[in-house]
Amino acid sequence: MRSIEKYVQAMENKDFAGLAELFAKDGTINDYCSNGTAQSEYHVYGREAIHMFFRNRFTFGKCSISEAQVVNDTQAEFVANYGGYLVMAIATVRREDENGLIERLTVRPK
Amino acid sequence: MGLYAITGGSSGIGAKTVEILKAQGHQVINIDLRNCDITANLATPEGRDEAINKLHEMCPDGLDGMICNAGVSGTCGNLALIISLNYFGTIRLAKGVFDLLEKKHGSCIVTSSNTISQGAGRLDIADILNNVGDEQRVINLVSQLDATNLSVQQSIYVATKYALARYVRRVSSSWAARGVRINAVAPGNVKTAMTANMGEAANHALNALPIPTKYGTESLMEPEEIGEVMAFLVSPNARGINGNVVFVDGGTDALLNSEKVY
Repeated sequence: MRSIEKYVQAMENKDFAGLAELFAKDGTINDYCSNGTAQSEYHVYGREAIHMFFRNRFTFGKCSISEAQVVNDTQAEFVANYGGYLVMAIATVRREDENGLIERLTVRPK
Repeated sequence: MGLYAITGGSSGIGAKTVEILKAQGHQVINIDLRNCDITANLATPEGRDEAINKLHEMCPDGLDGMICNAGVSGTCGNLALIISLNYFGTIRLAKGVFDLLEKKHGSCIVTSSNTISQGAGRLDIADILNNVGDEQRVINLVSQLDATNLSVQQSIYVATKYALARYVRRVSSSWAARGVRINAVAPGNVKTAMTANMGEAANHALNALPIPTKYGTESLMEPEEIGEVMAFLVSPNARGINGNVVFVDGGTDALLNSEKVY
């Protein structure tokens, strides 16, 4: 399974631990979609931070995705839900390390 | 050595702060409901006045510091108590001893909460607290809410703590110009008797507010981690710090709000 597919699966299942495991130790998520909603952009640096950040967001219903579709080897489109505010988004795996762990993933409005 | 007063110094963060200040050689007057130097119920106007009068009797030459720490969490389920104790109990005490602090160019600390940055507060209630300041009117307003609902309890708790932090920001410049500093401390979730006995659902929610410095341990902040910051902030060593809301939460706020740098 490609990284982007695993990412979508973890997001759909609200699996914060599984999501964090997809990333390299210093992997980052840069999410620009939430800017403009009631939340700030997400720039989460490091595997542990991704684990903690999404544990919070999933538990309190502030982040989820639906209608996901993997469009190529590195990208997926979905409807991102930021605490009830919907944004059509596209996630891109920008860089992976030699072990296939994500070093940088971006989420932008589509 | 200094003369300090603290509210809610009989347990939790307050008790640790008392311990730290005493270990530094200071004299500390504890205002609480039990095991204290001044017994007063700060949830009532009479109790607040009693505490202020006693402090004036006991400290005719002034106070080096006032730590307004008494408060209850949202889970107490008593919305009126949250409003009266957390907000009005704190503001009244801070204002009521201002003249004592002025005499010694002292400092005031208010206990806020790191939840103020997590978007769960009723900011309309916070606005009314800060801008109207009518205790009975706010109590009437919150009495119409469902006090058994955990989200409602939390939203009112956060509103009081948000209003306290904003109060500190608003008055800090004029207070400082008169020689008195005022700051807020915003602790993360702290180990207390109450958090030790929480149910599964509450623990689940607590652990979803991760504390980066405790990563992987599922543990909360220690009361002394907060107390040590309070002892520093109230001391003359922190004379350059005024009007700040200092998050003492092991990095939870930075984790959840990395883009808020100011």
